[in-house]
Amino acid sequence: MEPIISLKNVIKNYGTKQVLKGINLDIYPGQVIGYIGPNGAGKSTTVKILCGLIADFEGEVLVGGLNIKTESLTIKSKIGYVPELADLYDVLTPIEFLNLMAQLYSIDEQLASERMNKMLTAFGLAAVMNERMDTFSKGMRQKVLIISGLLHNPDIIILDEPLSGLDANSVITVKELISKLAKDGKTIFYCSHMMDVVEKVSDRIVLINNGTVIADGSFEELKQQQGNQSLEQIFSLLTQGSSTNDASDQLMNAFNN
Amino acid sequence: MNFIDKFLVKIVLLPTTFYRGLGINTLQLKAILQTKITLGDRTPTGIRAIKRANPKKPTSGVSFSQLFMSVFLGLFFMTSFYFGQNYETKLTLYFSMFMFILASTLMADFTTVLIDVRDNFIILPKPVSDITFLTSRLLYIIIYILKTAIPMTLIGMVYVGYFIGLWPLVIFIVMVLLVTLFTVFLINAAYIFVLKVTTPQKFKTIITYFQIALAVLIYASYQIIPRLISKSEMAGFDISQNSWIFLAPPFWFACAWQFLTTFSGGFIMVIYTVLSLSIPFISIWFVIKYLAPSFNQKLAMIEGTGEEQTTKPTIHKAPKKGFGLTENITKWITQNGAERVGFMLTWKMTSRSRDFKMKVYPSLGYLGVYLVLMLLNNKGNKGRFELPPADSFVYIFIVYFSNFVLITAMGYLIYSEKYKAAWLYYIPPVDKPGKFILGSVKAILVKFFAPLAVAILVSAYFLLGVASLPNFILGICNQALIIFTIAYITFNQMPFSTLAGNKTKGSSLVRGLFTMLIPVSVGSVHYLIRDFLPVVILLNVLSIIAIWMVNDSIKNKTWEQINVQTDW
Repeated sequence: MEPIISLKNVIKNYGTKQVLKGINLDIYPGQVIGYIGPNGAGKSTTVKILCGLIADFEGEVLVGGLNIKTESLTIKSKIGYVPELADLYDVLTPIEFLNLMAQLYSIDEQLASERMNKMLTAFGLAAVMNERMDTFSKGMRQKVLIISGLLHNPDIIILDEPLSGLDANSVITVKELISKLAKDGKTIFYCSHMMDVVEKVSDRIVLINNGTVIADGSFEELKQQQGNQSLEQIFSLLTQGSSTNDASDQLMNAFNN
Repeated sequence: MNFIDKFLVKIVLLPTTFYRGLGINTLQLKAILQTKITLGDRTPTGIRAIKRANPKKPTSGVSFSQLFMSVFLGLFFMTSFYFGQNYETKLTLYFSMFMFILASTLMADFTTVLIDVRDNFIILPKPVSDITFLTSRLLYIIIYILKTAIPMTLIGMVYVGYFIGLWPLVIFIVMVLLVTLFTVFLINAAYIFVLKVTTPQKFKTIITYFQIALAVLIYASYQIIPRLISKSEMAGFDISQNSWIFLAPPFWFACAWQFLTTFSGGFIMVIYTVLSLSIPFISIWFVIKYLAPSFNQKLAMIEGTGEEQTTKPTIHKAPKKGFGLTENITKWITQNGAERVGFMLTWKMTSRSRDFKMKVYPSLGYLGVYLVLMLLNNKGNKGRFELPPADSFVYIFIVYFSNFVLITAMGYLIYSEKYKAAWLYYIPPVDKPGKFILGSVKAILVKFFAPLAVAILVSAYFLLGVASLPNFILGICNQALIIFTIAYITFNQMPFSTLAGNKTKGSSLVRGLFTMLIPVSVGSVHYLIRDFLPVVILLNVLSIIAIWMVNDSIKNKTWEQINVQTDW
C-alpha cells in the first residue's frame, strides 16, 4: 500500500538551532498516529510542515503522492487541522466562524450549512450557535474548532491536543469519533501530552525527542521492547533516561528543614 | 508603590487596634492592600488604556502619571475663577467641572477597581475572613478615590488658600470631600441604572463607548473652550440670577462655602448649607442600605468566566440568512472565497473587538470635532455663520483630511489580542493571501469611509449645488485610491494576526510621515486644478482606472510577500 504521508529525511533549522534532525516516517491510510514527545521536541514544527505552513525545510514530504513544496494548495484541501489552546476570533459566533471556514474550503453553501447544523447539534451547541464565542467555555470553543477541522470532510486529520477542556462525555464522543473516522479510511495524526489517551486511541505511536524519532510502533510493540510498562513510564524512560521519581523526591525534600 | 501610595496606606492602616477589635487580620489586610495598589499601579485604566502604546512593555508608575493627569485637569478647572462676578458663580462652575471630570474618570475605571475576578480564585480560597477582605476592598476604593480627587483640586486649594484665606481653604477642602462623596453616589446610581436597563454582558460595551465618548469630549472641550474664553461678557455673569440654579448640586456646595466663610447671606444660604452637609451622607447611606447588595452581585457577573453562560437558557434564534444590507453589499463588491472572508471578518471584528474600537473610534470622534470646527471657524462679515464659497480650500481639506482616520483604522487592522487565531488564514487552500487583504481593506472603506462620502456628496448637492459634485467625486475616488495604494505598499501581514503594539520600530515613524504626505500632496494638486472641469473629469476617470489596477495588484500578493506569523 502507498503511504498517504511520507517524510524523507526532513531537516528544519531555526537559525543555528536544528529542530528536526532528519525525520523519516511513512503513514498509511486509516492509521491513527499518536505523535508524542516532550516540550520542544519538534512536534509542532512537524505539524506546521504537514499543513504546508513551513516550506523552507530540507528533505522531502509527500502527501497523497504529491510534493508539499509544489502542491501545497491541493494538499491543504485534503487536510483538516484542529489547533490546540482554543485560539479563535471569539467575537464571532460559531455559525459565522464556520461559515468563513466553509468559504475558504469552497464548500457549497447549502451543504456547509447542513453539516454545521448537524455537527453543532451533535456536540450540544445548537442552542448557542448564534451567540458570540467570547462567553464560551474552553470545551465549547474546542468543539467548534473540532468541527471547523472536519467540516470539509478531509482525508487527513491533524489533531493537536484535541481533548483539552472537554468534559468527560465529549471526550468519549471525540475518542469514538476518531476510531470511526479511521475505520472510514481517514488518517489521523494525533499530537498530545496525555499518554493514557494516546495509549488508547492510537494504533501506532511515534515518539520524537530532540528532533529525531526515537520510538515507532504499536503500543504492544513498544511494551515488548521496553518491558511491560505503561506508555507514561516508557515515555519518561526514553526521553529522560531516568525515572521521574528523582524530581518528585527532590520536591518532597523541600519540606525537610 | 510610590511614596504617595505608601503614605496613604500608612494613613488608612493607622487605627490598627480598631481594626483588630473588629476581628480584622491586619497583616492580611496590609498584604492585600499593598498588592492591590501595586497591581493598580501596573494596570493602565481609563483614557490611558486607549493610548497604551505597547502592552508588551510592562506598565508601571500608572498612579504617578495618573496624579499628573489629575493635577493637569485640575488646572483646567481654574478657568472657572475667571468667570462670574461672585464666588457663588465661580465655585458653582468649579464644582461642576470637578464633579463632571471626577465622575467620568471614576465611571470608566470603576469596573476594574471595584471588581477583580482574580480575587475569586486568589484570595477567597485562602484563609481570609470576610470582614478582612471587605475592609481591604473598601480601603482600596477610598485610597483610589482620594488619589483622583485630591490632585484634581490641589491647584484650587492653593488658589483659595493663597488669595482668599486659611479658613476659606478649610471649608473648601470640606466641600471638596463632600462633592466627592456625592459624586460617588451619582456614579453608583448611574451604574445601577445601566445595569437595570441592560445585561451585565453588555455593560462592558457600554463602558467602552463611554470611555470613547469621554476621550472625544475632553478633546472637544480643549478645542472649543479656549475659543470661548475671549468673550469678556462672561466676567460679569452671576449664576444665582438663573431661576433653576437651585436644582444644581454644585450650586449648593458653592453657597455653603460662601455661607460658612462669611456667615452671611440669609435664610436661603442656610438651607443650601444644610443640604450640602446632609445630602452626601444621606445618599451614601441610601446606596449602602438599598442599592449595594444586589449591585455587587450583578457587578460580579460582569466579568464572569462565562461558565454560567452554558447553563443560562438561551433563545435559539433561527440561523439568520445573511444580514440584510451588509450581506448584499458584500456580495456586490467582493468575490466569493478568501476576499469575502476577509471582508466579513474585518467587518465583524471592527465592530465587535473592544481593542479595535478603543483605538480607532476616538480618532473618528476627533475627526468629527475637527470638521465641525473647520466649518464653524468661517465667520461671515457680521459674525454670523456662513458656508465657505464652493471653491474654498476648506472643502478639499475636509475630504482629504478624513483620510487620516482611514489610515489609522488600517494601521490597527493587523493587530489583535487574539492574534493566534490567525491560523485560519494559513491552513485552508488559499492560493493568494492578497485576497484576504483586499477584502479587509474594502471592508474598512465601506464601513468607515462610505457613510462619510455619502454625507459629503448629499450635503454638497444641497448646500453648494450640482456644479460642486465633480470635485467632491474626484476627492472621494482619490481617497479610495490612496487607501488601496497604501494598503498595497504597507499591508504585509494578515488582518488581526499580530499582537497589538508589537510594532517594528524605527522605520515606522518615517513611514507614517510618508503616508501622511500622500494625501497632502494629492490634495494640493487637486486644489490647483479644481476650477478646470474637463481636467477634473479626466482625472476622475484616471483615478477609477487606477483603483481597479491597484485592486488587482493587492489581490495578487503572494504568500512570499506576506509575513506569515507561525508563533502559535
